[in-house]
Amino acid sequence: MKYILLMSGTRAGVEAYHAWPKQDINAHMAVLHGINQDLAASGEFVATQGLSGPKEAKVVRGEKNGLPVTDGIFPESKEFLLGYWIVDVANAERAYAIAGRISAVSLNMPIEVRQFATHEAKS
Amino acid sequence: MKYILMMNTMKAGHGVPAWPKKDLQAHIGFMMSINKELHGRGELVSAEGLAFPDQAKLIRADKDGQPVTDGIFPESKEFLAGFWIIDVDSPQRAYEIAATVSAAPGPGGAPLNMPIEVRQVMSGPPPDML
Repeated sequence: MKYILLMSGTRAGVEAYHAWPKQDINAHMAVLHGINQDLAASGEFVATQGLSGPKEAKVVRGEKNGLPVTDGIFPESKEFLLGYWIVDVANAERAYAIAGRISAVSLNMPIEVRQFATHEAKS
Repeated sequence: MKYILMMNTMKAGHGVPAWPKKDLQAHIGFMMSINKELHGRGELVSAEGLAFPDQAKLIRADKDGQPVTDGIFPESKEFLAGFWIIDVDSPQRAYEIAATVSAAPGPGGAPLNMPIEVRQVMSGPPPDML
């Protein structure tokens, strides 16, 4: 069963993180890297990525003629995806356990856990 | 340059199954043809749809590091419905693909023109943080 673990935060949260002392950021990154290595060793790792900051985010809509219209203005309260992990696990509880581990080393931030809609995609 | 294109939905607004079957089929057929085209151009990294928000869970670690699940989300929350990861030459090309996806057909075949969030995928942590 494939799950995606989504870590989101607001613009203010991203700025606060960037203000952490460098050694704290390094320690945080090292623990996340260790989790990725554990998941790779257990065969549960599919992918992980961090995204660039909210400043560079754009929202695109197609116009009537199909041309892109970009809009970079978001409400202050909007949550942005900061990064994600895709895992392939035996059950939902295992996905929650991994999310809990990530949360524990990331200020107990909430991690959204979503299953891939594999059946719908194939129908 | 890698980008992620995110299609979001409101909890109350995921009414896709309520469309007439032929409109749904046209929508899914359109999405499949875009994926095929992107794959053919070597631009598709991955594309996935997610299970509906009623199955989403929010997890936090408690003091002992154990997962605490909480499925309660504010009504106004946007949920990720699906995403594409693409590898393209320029942001303009990413916006172009996002616009194509945005204009996917909805009920009666009319373009949905839904907003697609476009974010660059980082190849690693910013160098000044290492």
